Amino acid sequence: MDLILYLLAVPFVAGLVCAVIPKKQRLIAELLALAGSIAVFLMTFIIFRTNPVNFQLFGLELFRIDNFNRFLVLFIALFGILVILYSTKFFPKTDKFSISSFYYTSVLWSISAALGCVLANNLILMLVFWGFLGLTLYVLIQSNSPDSKDAAKKTFIIVGGSDCLMILGIAIIWVLTGTLQMDKIFLSTADSTLALTAFLCLAIGAFAKAGAMPFHTWIPDMAPVTPAPVIALLPASLDKLLGIYLLARISLNLFSLSLPLTAFLMFIGAVTIIAAVFMAMIQHDLKKLLSYHAVSQVGYMILGLATGNPVGIAGGIFHMLNNAIYKSCFFLCGGSIEKKTGTTDLDKLGALAGKAGMPLTFAAFFIASMSISGVPPFNGFVSKWMIYQGLITQFQNASPKFQIIALVCLVAAMFGSALTLASFMKLIHAIFFAQKKNEQKGEVNWQMWLPQLLLAGLCIVFGVFAFALPLKYFIIPSLSAFNLQLSGNLIGFWQPELATMLLIACIIIGIIIFLASFSLGSVIKRHKIFIGGEVLPENQRVTGVDFYQTIKEIKIFDQTYALAQKKVFDIYDWGKAIVNAFASALALMHTGNMHIYLAMSIMGLTILLYVFLGK
Amino acid sequence: MSTFFDYLIFPGFLFSAVFGMLAVYIDRKVSARVQWRKGPPLLQPVYDFVKLLGKEISVPEQTSVFTFLSAPVFGLAAITLVSVIVWNAMLVPGKTFIGDLIVVIYLLAIPSIAVIIGGFASNNPIASIGASREMKLILSYEIPFILSILTVIIKTGSIRMGDIVTYQLANPAVITSASGIIAFIVAILCIQAKLCLTPFDIPEAEQEIIAGPAVEYSGTPLAIFKLTKWIMLFVLPSFLVALFMPSADFLYNLLKFAGVLVIIILIKNTNPRLRIDQAVKFFWTYGAGLSLIAVILALIGL
Repeated sequence: MDLILYLLAVPFVAGLVCAVIPKKQRLIAELLALAGSIAVFLMTFIIFRTNPVNFQLFGLELFRIDNFNRFLVLFIALFGILVILYSTKFFPKTDKFSISSFYYTSVLWSISAALGCVLANNLILMLVFWGFLGLTLYVLIQSNSPDSKDAAKKTFIIVGGSDCLMILGIAIIWVLTGTLQMDKIFLSTADSTLALTAFLCLAIGAFAKAGAMPFHTWIPDMAPVTPAPVIALLPASLDKLLGIYLLARISLNLFSLSLPLTAFLMFIGAVTIIAAVFMAMIQHDLKKLLSYHAVSQVGYMILGLATGNPVGIAGGIFHMLNNAIYKSCFFLCGGSIEKKTGTTDLDKLGALAGKAGMPLTFAAFFIASMSISGVPPFNGFVSKWMIYQGLITQFQNASPKFQIIALVCLVAAMFGSALTLASFMKLIHAIFFAQKKNEQKGEVNWQMWLPQLLLAGLCIVFGVFAFALPLKYFIIPSLSAFNLQLSGNLIGFWQPELATMLLIACIIIGIIIFLASFSLGSVIKRHKIFIGGEVLPENQRVTGVDFYQTIKEIKIFDQTYALAQKKVFDIYDWGKAIVNAFASALALMHTGNMHIYLAMSIMGLTILLYVFLGK
Repeated sequence: MSTFFDYLIFPGFLFSAVFGMLAVYIDRKVSARVQWRKGPPLLQPVYDFVKLLGKEISVPEQTSVFTFLSAPVFGLAAITLVSVIVWNAMLVPGKTFIGDLIVVIYLLAIPSIAVIIGGFASNNPIASIGASREMKLILSYEIPFILSILTVIIKTGSIRMGDIVTYQLANPAVITSASGIIAFIVAILCIQAKLCLTPFDIPEAEQEIIAGPAVEYSGTPLAIFKLTKWIMLFVLPSFLVALFMPSADFLYNLLKFAGVLVIIILIKNTNPRLRIDQAVKFFWTYGAGLSLIAVILALIGL
C-alpha cells in the first residue's frame, strides 16, 4: 500500500517543487523532473513484480494491482521519462513564449494522475484521477503557443463533457449494484436497459479519451498548435493507454456484453479506422496528419477488444501498447523536424534523409512507419495479425448475421492498413526525400534523438521477439485478469524470430551479390539525376503532398472531403450549434423590458407554487 | 538447419531464382511469339543478370546512399520468404503455421515498399511520380485482392495455407465452384497489378516516365530489383495455384503455375496501359464489386 502512495506522491511532490523553482533555474527543474520520473519508473518496476493484490485505505479497497494494470504502469512511467528527457532540449531557451516552469509540473502530475487512474479500484477515485488528467492536458496544450486557446477549450469541453457522462454511468452502476468497487461489479447489458446506459456512458468516456470516432475531433484540432512532446505524452500514449484500459475494464470485467453491442463496438472500430485514415491522407501538416493516425489506430484496438475471444483481446491490448510506442516516436520525430526546420508544413519540408540532414530521425521515423503500417517483422504487424485472427475466429463461431459484420470489419482493418502505409509513404517522401536544395540542418541533440531511437528500438524488439518478450510477460498474463486464457500453445504461431533470421540471411545474400559485383570490377559513382536531359528549375519540385490527388478527385471522396472540411462530422460543432440555437432562442426573451421580466417571474412563481403546494 | 536449407536452396532463394528466370524466359518467349518474333535463348535472364553485376553503380547526388542501395535487398528478402511459405504449404501442408496467409499478404507488400522507397531515394521527380503511382496501385488492388482471398478463407474455413491446401486435396478445388472462379478472375487481375504488367504497368510506364522508380538505378541494385521482379513472377502465380487449385503432386503444381503464367502473359500482350485514375476506379468498382459477389456466393455456399 505504501508503495502505491509513494508512487503517486513522488511525481506530485516533484511537480510541486518544480512549480516554485524560478524560471531562470530551469536546469534544476529539468533535473528534478527527470529524477522524479526515473524514481517513478523504478517503483513501477517493483509494482510490476508484485502479485495481484487489493490495497486497503480508510477501510475501502481503493487500489488494486492485477495482471492487466501491472505492465501499464511500467509503460506510463517509461513514456514519462522519455518525454521529460526530450523536453529538456525541445523548448528553446531564449524564446519569449518559452515554457513556464509549470510545464514540468503538469507533465509530472499527468504521470501521477495516469498511474492513479490505472491502479484505482474505486470508480469515483478513478474518475477523480481521470478528470485531473483532463485538466493537466488543458494546461499542457497551452504551454508554448499563444494561439492554442481554442483548441485547448475544445479539448477540455469534449474530454470534460464525457466525464459528466461517466459520472452518470457510475451513478447508475451504484444504483444497480450498491458498490463502486471495480472488482465486485458484474453487470449484463443483455437484460437491463439501465446497465446498457451505464455501459454506453462509460464507453463514451473511454472513446473521448482515446479519440475514437465520433469523439475524436479534439485531437486533430489540438495537434498543430501543441508542442510535440505534449502530444507524444498525452494523446499519443497516456490517453490511449487509459482510454483503452477503461474500455477493456468495462467491456470485459464490469459488464458482459450482448452480441448486438459487440457488433456495434466493432462497427465503431471499423468506421474509425477507415474514416480517420482517409482524412489523414489529404493533410498538409505533419502533426495534423499524424494526429489523424492517432485516431485511426484506436479503431484496431476497439475491434480487437470487441471480438471477445482471447486472441483478439490480446491483440487489441498489444496493439494499444504498440501504438503508444510508435505514435509517441512519431510525435517526437515530428518535434525534432519542427525544431530543426521551423515548420511542420509538408509543402516546405524535404531532403532530410541524407548524411547532412537528420539520418537518426529518419531511421526512427522509418521504423515507426513500417510498424504502424503493419509490415512484418515489426511490432504493429504482430498485434494486427492477432486482431485479424480474432476477427476470423469470431467469423467462424458467429451466427450468419454477425458473420457479415466480422467480415466487413476484417476487410476494413486490412484495407485501413494499406491506407496507413500510403499516407506514411507520402510523409516519408515529403519530409525526407522531396527534392530540395540541401541545407545543412544536422541532427538534433542526443537528448532528443535518444528517446526517438529507443522507441524505434522497442518497435523492432517487440516485433521480432513478440512471443518471447511482450506477449509472454505483459499481454498473455493480462488475459487472466479477465478470466480468459489463450487456447492452444504458441508453437504453431507465426515465428517472428525465425522469419527475421531468414530475412537477415537473404540480406546477406544481397550483400554477397554486391560484393560479387565489386569483384567483377563494378564501382560506386555519384552522378546528377536524369530528367529526360532537362535541368530542373529549383522552384519545380515534387513534394509528395499531392500524391493522392487522383483519389481525392474521385467524385464521392471529393464531396465527402468537402463536407469534412466544413466540419459536418464534428460532434463538437453540432453541440455548439445546438447550444447556440438554445441561447439565441432564450436571448429573444431578454429584451431589457422590465414588464416582461416581472411577468415571467410571476408566472414562474405561480408554476412553482402549483407544483409544490398543489400536491 | 533444415529451415535455412528450405530458405536458401529449396523452395527458397535458389529454387525461386531459377524458376523466376524460367518464368521471365517464358514471358519473353510467349510475348515474342505473340508479336511474331523469335524470342531470346533460354539463358538470356542469366546473361542479363551477370552483365548488370559488372556495370558501374551510379548513385544520385544528394541522397542517402544507404537507403538507395539497400532498398532492393529488402524486397528480395521478403519475396524469398513468401516463396518458402507458399511452396512449403504445397509440399508439406502439415508444416505451416496458423495465420500464415495473413503473413503472406503483408510480406507481399514489402517488395512494393522497396520499389517505392528506392524511387523516393532516387531524388528524381520522375521516380517520385512513379513511386506515388505504385502506392496508389497498391491501394486500388488491395480491396479486391483481400476479398478474393476471403472467398477462399470462407470456402476452406481456414487462414492456414496448409489447411487450405489439404482441404482442397480432399474436396473439390475452390476454383471449381462459382464463387471460386469469380474470385480467381479478380485475383489474377490483382496479380497483374502487383507484378506491374500491362494494363497496370502504370508505375513504370516506360514511354511516359522512363521506368519510374527504377530510372536512377543501374548495375547491381538494378540487377537485384530485376531478380525480385522475376521471383515475383514465379511466386505470385504459385500463390494463386496454392489458394485456388493445389494438387498433391509437385509437377502438377508447376504445370498449373505455367498455365496461370501464360494467362497473365496473354493479358499483358493484348491490352493497352490504363491511366492511374482509371485503374483505381476499375479496381474499386468492377474489381471490388465482382469479388464482393464472390464472397456473397461463398457465404451462401456456392
